Amino acid sequence: MISGARQGEGPDVETIFVLLPLALLIAAIAVGFFIWAARTGQFDDLDTPAVRILFDDEEVPPLETAADSTRRVPE
Amino acid sequence: MTGRRETASLVGPGFSPGGPRDPGPAPVACAHCGLAVPASLLREGEKAQFCCAGCRQVYTLVREWGFDQYYRLVDQQQGVLEPARVTGRSFEDFDDDRLQAEATETIGTDRRRTRLYLEGVHCAACVWLVEKLPAAIPGVDEVRLNLGNAVAEVTWRPAHTRLSSIARALDRLGYTPHVHRASRVQEARRAEDRTALARLGVAAACAMNLMFLHGALYAGEYSGMASPYWAFFRWLSFAVAVPVLFFSARPFFQTALAGLRARIVHIDLPVAIALGGAFAASAWNTVRGSGPLWFDSLAMLVAALLGARQVQRSAQRAALERADSLRGVAFLEFARRLTGDGLDAPAVEVPLTALSPGDRVEVRSGELVPVDGIVLCGHSSLDNAVLTGEAAALPVKAGDAVNAGATNLGARLVVRVEAAGEKTRVGALLAIVQEALSRKPALLGRTDLMARRFVQGLLVLAAVTAVVWLPRGPEVALERVVALLVVACPCALGLSVPLAVSVTLMRAARSGIFIKNPDALERLRTVDTAVLDKTGTLTEGRARVARWQGEDIVLQFARALEAQSSHPVARAFRDSSGRPIWVVRTVEDVIEVPGQGIAGRLDGHDVRVGNRAHVEAEGATVPDDLARFAARSVEEGLSPVFVALDGRVAGVAGIGDVLRPDARGTVAALRAQGVRVRVLSGDHPDVVARVGAQLGLPEADVLGGLTPEGKRDIVAGLVAGGGRAGAVVMVGDGVNDAAALALADVGIAVHGGMGATIVAADVVLTREGVSPLLDILDGARGLRGVVHRNLGFSLVYNVVASALVLAGLVGPLLAAVLMPVSSLTVILSSALTRTFARPVGRSAAGHTGLEPRAAADRASGHTAAAVREAACDFRGTPGGRA
Repeated sequence: MISGARQGEGPDVETIFVLLPLALLIAAIAVGFFIWAARTGQFDDLDTPAVRILFDDEEVPPLETAADSTRRVPE
Repeated sequence: MTGRRETASLVGPGFSPGGPRDPGPAPVACAHCGLAVPASLLREGEKAQFCCAGCRQVYTLVREWGFDQYYRLVDQQQGVLEPARVTGRSFEDFDDDRLQAEATETIGTDRRRTRLYLEGVHCAACVWLVEKLPAAIPGVDEVRLNLGNAVAEVTWRPAHTRLSSIARALDRLGYTPHVHRASRVQEARRAEDRTALARLGVAAACAMNLMFLHGALYAGEYSGMASPYWAFFRWLSFAVAVPVLFFSARPFFQTALAGLRARIVHIDLPVAIALGGAFAASAWNTVRGSGPLWFDSLAMLVAALLGARQVQRSAQRAALERADSLRGVAFLEFARRLTGDGLDAPAVEVPLTALSPGDRVEVRSGELVPVDGIVLCGHSSLDNAVLTGEAAALPVKAGDAVNAGATNLGARLVVRVEAAGEKTRVGALLAIVQEALSRKPALLGRTDLMARRFVQGLLVLAAVTAVVWLPRGPEVALERVVALLVVACPCALGLSVPLAVSVTLMRAARSGIFIKNPDALERLRTVDTAVLDKTGTLTEGRARVARWQGEDIVLQFARALEAQSSHPVARAFRDSSGRPIWVVRTVEDVIEVPGQGIAGRLDGHDVRVGNRAHVEAEGATVPDDLARFAARSVEEGLSPVFVALDGRVAGVAGIGDVLRPDARGTVAALRAQGVRVRVLSGDHPDVVARVGAQLGLPEADVLGGLTPEGKRDIVAGLVAGGGRAGAVVMVGDGVNDAAALALADVGIAVHGGMGATIVAADVVLTREGVSPLLDILDGARGLRGVVHRNLGFSLVYNVVASALVLAGLVGPLLAAVLMPVSSLTVILSSALTRTFARPVGRSAAGHTGLEPRAAADRASGHTAAAVREAACDFRGTPGGRA
């Protein structure tokens, strides 16, 4: 701790009167977004989006039919 | 179906009875589901082969639409496809105006959104395929499928497409759609879930910030802080604490207040008092500019408690979601109404609400009868098991009355409508279930009782503190009282039960036991009586080949022949899985003799299956050993069916609805635990008495011939009856059990139960059999141990901490450190819970979503697939994938 802050009289420390409310304001905005997301149901389904991201967008050429028969047969 | 008769030319080893058993060439995999294709279905010259007509349809459509990637995804996700089921329905009823007004919402001017529950959704690849629908059907804007509850949200343009077209496409992809109507309860719960999450988020964010602010204040206490900063920090933390108390902590105040109004001391009351007291004192201290603040403690308390509840909520949701999606789907959805005058007039699918008495509806083979009415034409047999508990199929002919909910096992029927919808017998039963559910009282648990004593003690202690410290001045006294309330705040007490419960719920769900109502665990601590349904619960609920005398190969022949018939006996042969040895390639000259049996030529062998007269008709005689076996079967309550091969009677099957393999052991174990076991059934009293005798139950405890209302009244009588030592547990599967399930202290729906039972029950089993019942009792007992441990610890902590405060030894800082430590201990103790640990390994099959029997079928691909092919024109077999 710097000695100026120890007495709480250093000129730099006064910025806290602006910075702290500002930080809290930013936090409040983030919380606001969270509430909005929760209220619009974006956390309703936590399972499907996790798998949806795995799908490729690119088009894959159709399978060769012959390859189909090589699909595994459960023992 | 014609393919089967054209494949005689396929090369393959021949068969001679009694000869060496040849497994044949390596099996070919079905191009859709990967199961082995039965030899009789192989089509020469085709690259893609299929195990059944459903798979062929789905595969063709997927390829036609260019969605081949689906199969890659299935492999990639290591998903297991089941043979596809395509109903071939027209879904015209989905276009009905009234139905659309009810189940769709309009978006903007030209779009609509509808929720459809899809049967057969199993893995991530389904999400991909279903959400690809807009690419295939013009007019569909968007589809979002929720993997958890299998409900798809479809946005579409009525100007370009109809809902029935969308439904037909989904059906042809193997996902049978059902219109999903969200109930008001569900909507309310969803809104509640969302708000709860928002509350938790706010509490957590504020608690973290308050920790920083208070960190500065604590540091200031030691190193000194200029007063403007000091005041600034105090006012700031006051401001941050306001949303915690007035938004996040609202549920605590609401329940505490509601409890007070009902004169019940709720566990939330001490929490509310502590929060209110700490906030009021801190606010006062902020305003007057001296004294300690507890904003950080109270915010952490709120965040921790809400977090614990959120964990419990999500654990519970796993069990609720399945029930929810089924709750939104009507048990009976549509009817095929005849449009012309004749009895052969074409039928149109209409919703049940569009029917009026006097209409004529068609009921196809394998479908549910949609209405109460009178048969106008047709001969068939009906399966009433879900309605009445009768295991045996009932023959019906013109002039007979039929009830909604029965399954048509035989040929097409035309029924004149007498009543539809809620006016039917099954409609009335479902109404009873709803009523019973709404009356089920909330449980005042042991924890609540403890909390009541605790809070009373706390209030006394607070008064004592005030008196003891009053000589030092009112300010000191107030400070001590608030310190006491904060330190003694039952944080650990509040955490201990939800955490232990949610760990147990998750473990139970992993072992195939979905506990919808956590109160059930508390009620199950002691069980007085277990009431078991017979058909479908103790037994499998459908006729099977229970005993077989003769060579396995002969049974395979009988199965292949019976696959040609839709008679109830034929179903028994089809539904029985066993080790397949060889698959019949050709079936010719099939003749069915009503009331006797069936005959045909299979791979050149004459096969006759039927009663004694039928197999002896061609001069064969039944050997003595088989006759003795048949007589023994009759004594056991089974119907003997003889099989003749090339003029020689070579086997006897005992057919009947037999006890599940685990029924006897489970009943014995329950009785060993001192539980009185009773069997209530709608089946014939003689049949029920025989089952009771097999289970070793006293005759007085086994009742047959009961109506659903009768069952309900008996269970209600048991619940209301005095002198019982514990809970009354009802275990069942059918609609006829639903009312009793809802009324019992704990209702348990066994695997394969109908939608109505799943809604009514507190616990839903997804594992086959009744033995999970024992696991539930074990789990409830294990949970009690953990809860006691947690409660004991938190009480000791609270008492010790209170004593220290009372003595003036603990200040607010130490209290703030002590509280999370005590909570952490409780969390650890809950995480180490071993409830439901035992059955996890045992239920490996349930874990993958495969029932043991399905797994067995898979292992024995040949028969299973052969059976399925036959079942393909047998859509809607009961117990399907519900």
